[in-house]
Amino acid sequence: TAGMKKDIERLYEAVPQLVNVFKIKEKIGEGTFSSVYLATAQLQTGYEEKMALKHLIPTSHPLRIAAELQCLTVAGGQDNVMGVKYCFRKNDHVVIVMPYLEHESFLDILNSLSFEEVREYMFNLFKALRRIHHFGIVHRDVKPSNFLYNRQLKEYALVDFGLAQGTPDTKIELLKTAHSEDQQGSCLQNNPTTPLGNGVSVNVTVPKQIAQQSASKPADKKVISHSKIQMKEGREGKEGSVHHSVQRSVFGERNFNVYSSTYQQNSSTKVIKHSKMIDVSSRKLLTKKKIIATKTLSNGTARKAASGFSLNLICDCYATDKVCSVCLSRCQQVAPRAGTPGFRAPEVLTKCPTQTTAIDMWSAGIIFLSLLSGRYPFYKASDDLTALAQIMTVRGSRETIQAAKTFGKSVLCTQVVAAQNLRTLCEKLRGTNSSCKRSQDEVPSKSVSDSTSPAAVDKSCAPETLGKQIQHLKSFQEGDGALEMKAADMKGWDQVPDEAYDLLDKLLDLNPATRITAKEALQHPFFKDMRP
Amino acid sequence: LLRRPGSASKDVVTGRLKNPFVKVEDRSRRYRPFYLQFHIFPALNYCVPKPCSPFEMEKKLPSAPKQRFVASINKPNSDKDCGTPLHLPQKDKKRRGYCECCGKKYEDLHTHLESEQHQTFAHSTEYRVVDEIISKFVYQFVEYKDDANKPKRTKCST
Repeated sequence: TAGMKKDIERLYEAVPQLVNVFKIKEKIGEGTFSSVYLATAQLQTGYEEKMALKHLIPTSHPLRIAAELQCLTVAGGQDNVMGVKYCFRKNDHVVIVMPYLEHESFLDILNSLSFEEVREYMFNLFKALRRIHHFGIVHRDVKPSNFLYNRQLKEYALVDFGLAQGTPDTKIELLKTAHSEDQQGSCLQNNPTTPLGNGVSVNVTVPKQIAQQSASKPADKKVISHSKIQMKEGREGKEGSVHHSVQRSVFGERNFNVYSSTYQQNSSTKVIKHSKMIDVSSRKLLTKKKIIATKTLSNGTARKAASGFSLNLICDCYATDKVCSVCLSRCQQVAPRAGTPGFRAPEVLTKCPTQTTAIDMWSAGIIFLSLLSGRYPFYKASDDLTALAQIMTVRGSRETIQAAKTFGKSVLCTQVVAAQNLRTLCEKLRGTNSSCKRSQDEVPSKSVSDSTSPAAVDKSCAPETLGKQIQHLKSFQEGDGALEMKAADMKGWDQVPDEAYDLLDKLLDLNPATRITAKEALQHPFFKDMRP
Repeated sequence: LLRRPGSASKDVVTGRLKNPFVKVEDRSRRYRPFYLQFHIFPALNYCVPKPCSPFEMEKKLPSAPKQRFVASINKPNSDKDCGTPLHLPQKDKKRRGYCECCGKKYEDLHTHLESEQHQTFAHSTEYRVVDEIISKFVYQFVEYKDDANKPKRTKCST
């Protein structure tokens, strides 16, 4: 298109070094923070090769750019993790050159993949995750569009470290930052207007003087004055738009602090780093403010925040269906939430400040759920709490609430929903269970398949047996009349072993502390006959 | 439904959430709770055809109830609009966002990039950290000759 031509022209203009080196063919991807182009280049080896040129948005901080490059150079280039060939810069324009891997559209192939291909896909995803996690990289945006898959070549590549964060012991130097020992809340205005239920909103106005005094007053004596009640039409809320799903992590806070919310301060003095958070259409920046020491009060810590105030007042609303001007005047907790809504783990959705590589494993579980159920995207939510509610309908509300307690969150949900049996759920959604009408593209032809395919296996079928069956099916397919059979072939979907659902269950573990790791996943019986 | 409980302090205004809802609060009770009231609590829908999400709303009936937020959930900056507007094929000229280099928001990407402040940053030494990494790469490209002769080697000048 004309638009694309113009984009390509502009890229050549912005980074003139590209001019005689690359023939830029087309734009193949556009995100909030970058555009990706397909290009060819003549290498000194004599071959002309296809390359992917990733042009980063020039508003990216150099440290972010450098961190992304470091992830690619240190962790990339093997075990299905995308590597980097070169990088060009002119002023604020940076172009990362990567090998190009032609890949499928996940949605297009989702319902044509054989069960064996799904097994291979997951195995290769875990290889990539094991590698990046080994380096202490939390990817934060694991999803099909960031895991390139070439079905024919059986090649895979985990891409895009634009949102990556480091674990406390990360081996990626640029993902390290000084650890703040306390997770910040942020009060960004003096007069937060807080809509209450039923279109009622509370206007909490605290004059600066009072706010300042409160820092030296016992909290229980604190009175929020000037509270107003206004009738107001409840806002239609959306955090981020459906189209712009990615919210970038807090810059300058790419590390996960090791603050535990259940940890109680006993010292009389506490050092608090104050920060101001600005959140503007999916990019956040955290600026460190000067360190202020405040007194810990017997009944909670009163703090002055960068702009406005923060009072840690206790009210009666905790774990009830109530909210009041006291709890709503508290600071919002700041926790990383970059990523794509439907792939966010429960601890991300509930703003848990300590997030680990386990969030990537949850995302891998969501991909697996899509593969097993034939649905993509599996969850469809434009905000975090809708996403959490959808998770509850699959994993159970009681279970979700229970798990949240372990990472310091009180979740209250009026709806009691039972956990689904994962096999039943996936088979129903895929349409491979007996009690379900088949979708048109899966109409079994005659009775050929029934008479020749192996009898349904026992529930407790060992992977060994499964392996043999797959082999049996394969050799069967390659026999005479293969074409005729193919139409009837269930591609292994009529015998998904229990191990598949057991692994899915461990990936979608609501408790990040016990959730399966990439290393463990590769050892799971589901992959019994595969070499890590 | 509002009430003034005699419990805490007299000026505390309390609201009750309407069923069905989800409310989340840190157990330290040091932070603001966040919550969402649903018109209809999400449910699995097996009737939507593959490959659609089982949470896909039934073909958007005009009367389809919409969910409402009652708290400015995850909007640390409440002076912000509720999410980004639904942009139709977005004009390149109307890209707003946040510049990490300048530490400020902008209404229009292109205009901001041309601004003096950003240009100063763009030409600054801040990018050394990037150049340092680049310096370790091996340049393996051969330049295409403009007039399509055989490719010639380029001097590595970065």
